[in-house]
Amino acid sequence: MHPEFEAVIGLEVHCQLSTESKIFCGCRARIPAEQSVGEIAANSSTCPICAGHPGTLPVLNQKVVEFAIQAGLATNSQIHLKNRFARKNYFYPDLPKGYQITQFELPICENGWLNIETSTGSKKVPIQRIHMEEDAGKNVHMADFSLVNLNRAGVPLIEIVSGPDMKTSEEAGAYLRALYAVVTYLGICDGNLQEGNFRCDANVSVMPKGSTRFGTRAEIKNVNSFRFVEKAIEFEIARQIEVIRSGGRVIQETRTYDSDKDITISMRSKEEAQDYRYFTEPDLIPLIIDQAWVDQIKSRLPELPEQKKSRLISDLGLSAYDAGVLTGSKSLAEFFDQVVQKLGSSALAKPAANWVTGEISRLINEQGIEIHQSKIRPEHIADLVRLVHDQVLSSTGAKKVLELVWVSGESVHLIVDREGLTQVSDVSALEPVIQKVIDSNAKQAADFRSGKDKLLGFFVGQVMKETGGKANPALLGELIRKKLLG
Amino acid sequence: MVDVNESLTKQVAALSRLELSETEMVTFSSQLSQIIKYVEKLQEVDVAGVEPMSHPFELPTPLRPDVVLASPKDAEGKPKVLQSAPEVLYDGYKVPPIL
Amino acid sequence: MANLSSFRTIRDIHSAFESKKLSPVELTQEYLAAAKKSQTGAYLTFCDDLALKQARTAEDLILKHGGVPRDEFPLCGIPLGIKDNLTMDGVKTTCASKMLETYVAPYTATCVSRLEKAGAVTLGKLNLDEFAMGGSNENSAFGPVRHPTHPDRVPGGSSGGSAAAVKADLCFASLGSDTGGSIRLPASYCGVVGIKPTYGRVSRFGLVAFASSLDQVGPFARSVEDAALLMDVMSGYDPLDSTSIHQEKLNTVAATRLPTDWSKVRIGVPQEYFVGGLAPAVDRSIQSSLKWFEKQGAKLVPISLPHTQYAVAVYYIVAVSEASSNLARFDGIRFGQRPAASDQAKDLNDFYMKSRSLFGSEVKRRIILGTFALSSGYSEAYFKRACQVRRKIVDDFTQAFEKVDLIVGPVSPTTAFKLGEKNSDPLKMYLNDIFTIPANLAGLPALSVPCGTDEEGLPIGLHLMAAPFQENRLISAAHAFQNGFES
Repeated sequence: MHPEFEAVIGLEVHCQLSTESKIFCGCRARIPAEQSVGEIAANSSTCPICAGHPGTLPVLNQKVVEFAIQAGLATNSQIHLKNRFARKNYFYPDLPKGYQITQFELPICENGWLNIETSTGSKKVPIQRIHMEEDAGKNVHMADFSLVNLNRAGVPLIEIVSGPDMKTSEEAGAYLRALYAVVTYLGICDGNLQEGNFRCDANVSVMPKGSTRFGTRAEIKNVNSFRFVEKAIEFEIARQIEVIRSGGRVIQETRTYDSDKDITISMRSKEEAQDYRYFTEPDLIPLIIDQAWVDQIKSRLPELPEQKKSRLISDLGLSAYDAGVLTGSKSLAEFFDQVVQKLGSSALAKPAANWVTGEISRLINEQGIEIHQSKIRPEHIADLVRLVHDQVLSSTGAKKVLELVWVSGESVHLIVDREGLTQVSDVSALEPVIQKVIDSNAKQAADFRSGKDKLLGFFVGQVMKETGGKANPALLGELIRKKLLG
Repeated sequence: MVDVNESLTKQVAALSRLELSETEMVTFSSQLSQIIKYVEKLQEVDVAGVEPMSHPFELPTPLRPDVVLASPKDAEGKPKVLQSAPEVLYDGYKVPPIL
Repeated sequence: MANLSSFRTIRDIHSAFESKKLSPVELTQEYLAAAKKSQTGAYLTFCDDLALKQARTAEDLILKHGGVPRDEFPLCGIPLGIKDNLTMDGVKTTCASKMLETYVAPYTATCVSRLEKAGAVTLGKLNLDEFAMGGSNENSAFGPVRHPTHPDRVPGGSSGGSAAAVKADLCFASLGSDTGGSIRLPASYCGVVGIKPTYGRVSRFGLVAFASSLDQVGPFARSVEDAALLMDVMSGYDPLDSTSIHQEKLNTVAATRLPTDWSKVRIGVPQEYFVGGLAPAVDRSIQSSLKWFEKQGAKLVPISLPHTQYAVAVYYIVAVSEASSNLARFDGIRFGQRPAASDQAKDLNDFYMKSRSLFGSEVKRRIILGTFALSSGYSEAYFKRACQVRRKIVDDFTQAFEKVDLIVGPVSPTTAFKLGEKNSDPLKMYLNDIFTIPANLAGLPALSVPCGTDEEGLPIGLHLMAAPFQENRLISAAHAFQNGFES
């Protein structure tokens, strides 16, 4: 970033709640895990209520309120016991009633915060509000016409609005990941980014460094990958600085991110801004929440990423980095917990963490899947860790086993046996090989004896080559030294 | 007091997505102007500290259990709500190209 | 052929069924025939097949039980008309609008299904002002309803078809909806009984919304007793309407059977309702009605409802604001009609403008007014302020009902006016609702019961209001009045 400027970033996240039914009617809201939105017949999950037929009325889904309260508690927010719903009026074909039922004046949560970790340290990002609302449907655009599909209309959302308190794309990315971890840990969001379960709008402005007056902001709409949000923000900051430096003025507008070109593009300016005519939803009387209900929800909150991270560091002695990676995804953290449980002690937690944050993360990232969608089970990792610790497997051998498990899902022991990957720790089996290597490398043997200690590695390598990598390297070093130095 | 002229009427009609003919524009403007003038009398009421009333009875809203109910289908198993649609294609509501 | 006007009450009809003088099917056929012949314009749709099926079911029930099973099916075989802003599965619901000319609803309104479950026969759908917006029934896209006895006059609105059909023996009883007087005004003009229950008493699910915080479904009948029975059957919490009220099931019919201890009844007479502007005949009828109550032993208590003068202004901001939003869903995409011009629209806005051109003038006028009152820059001064003054009006009633049990006055300053008389002046038409609007703003139960006629024989309605949920009190007083008062 240009040193004379600083950026101000605020994020609005729309998070689809994983309730079974829609927010105001009984139609199915949650897509079964094995299906994608595109596979479900258009409008098959709609009724007169969510299709906005005349005469229909909304009735609030209790689970939506419960999930919103959970989100509030997990983000240190204040839970308002009296809530109102409001109508946000605008015309669009995917909005069946011509208004969206949302919350305006009295949202369910306010004044929370979330802790984030970046290269410059940790920081509390304020959360201004969390409110409940209904999602709109989808318009599918064809060449000569468009089709409206209302399956998504009425799916419950919470909108989580951060304060304009982030300064870099890294902070924005860290905040999004932290928030994502919270909602997926709570189990209130399925977290499928491709299906739009977790969508982000970013408000970005720049101002001269040290200024207290924010610059004019642009809103970047609906970016659904963390990496793209970061890139869109980076581009937008650079663009706005460039506008100002070349004597121009940033205009308030809505922009969209083109990931192919890595640029943001103007959609509409403030001049065309909507007048939403918010007013209290007369079909829903106020939502009054009982404090006892909030307390009960609080007492049942699962362990959250922050708590889990501290526990991994203090109880298992993991590094902050490893603990951060493990807790960044609910499924990875749960997987790791199960590995430690299978190992039966925390003594081997560190090597287990290395496997999960290293090889496993690499493999799942390469394939773009979640750990539970792979064939790897916690017992696979527990077995690998144990076999390496017991020197039955070399680390090279263990990596090979993992590659095979990844493909077949077979047990570690079966693969080790079949592939003959057990380390040779049998002295009588190794001694003839060592002798052979010394004999055929007389010059190096003499040099070693005369003090070139570094050559030990050379001999270990040669024996390894002869044994196909199966020799136990520690034992091997000992044997070679003994043989050469007598 | 608000001056309800044709330009304001036009602006509000556009916000309402209503197209008014020339004559309608003239009549509506004068009628709206008359009505707005009449409701100006509300300005004389002292409403300091009065909470706006949105419902006759502000009782707590009932909540519905999170239970899926089958979306209604017609005899052929198609979504029943599509029966009354002006134009349907591939089970979607067909509209002229938008955006 | 039975003389339909000879049946005064549901009890008369049930006796006729039991004495085999008449069967439900015959009665249904006669009503349908009369309705189809009528020149009132009360009906928009007939449900012959459905009605006859329901009538046959009623016949079977009577046969099976060896009489009318009154407890389980209190409306067994009773032919009703339904205002055409209430949905019935598979039947057109037009709201008297071009917008919905072809709309066949995919579900049934809760109030209608409760009547059907009680054995009622639904003859068809009744005419109204488009989307219930109007006080004369001249705003129907399918032609006005004419006054049942004076065809050059209006029947009142917006439930004009519902009132006229009962009066003209085109159905035995009917359903209407009341947002600012739309049941009580036509009941008064046509000389029948019309009740607007407490807000939330009857589910609004299936009532096409005009103004959600004011709308309430209610019955029309010749007698207070029968209207009360319909209300009882329809009332009760509906899990599909969040604003419907958890209360014990109404049994106002039982209240009509108990003698009234008039010495304990305090009747409030609001000074603001008698400040001139009342037609002399209306004034005379109301005064003699009040004297009747006094003669029974009730105490007349002069009261003041000082914010009454703001009620019309509050109403015409709140109602149209809610309406502007409620009517946004009519866009020609998901239901109803779409004009051909929409498909040639040059952009999205144009598409909406073309599709929404099917609204009539009054509807457009109200949507525009409501959009204005909610729009940025004006909503504080108009919508918000109206909601604040609404509370003041309601506070007036709360205080009044500490001193009185009922409030009595006129329904309308005049009797039915001539078709076309107030058409060109919307404000004048709106001011006609001055006495009925406050009950909607406060959610009170209220009714109109006939209390005389003017020089031309046009009916006059007496307006009774009670505190929220005090339907029993309201109905028993009105029932006694109807049976005891002679104008």
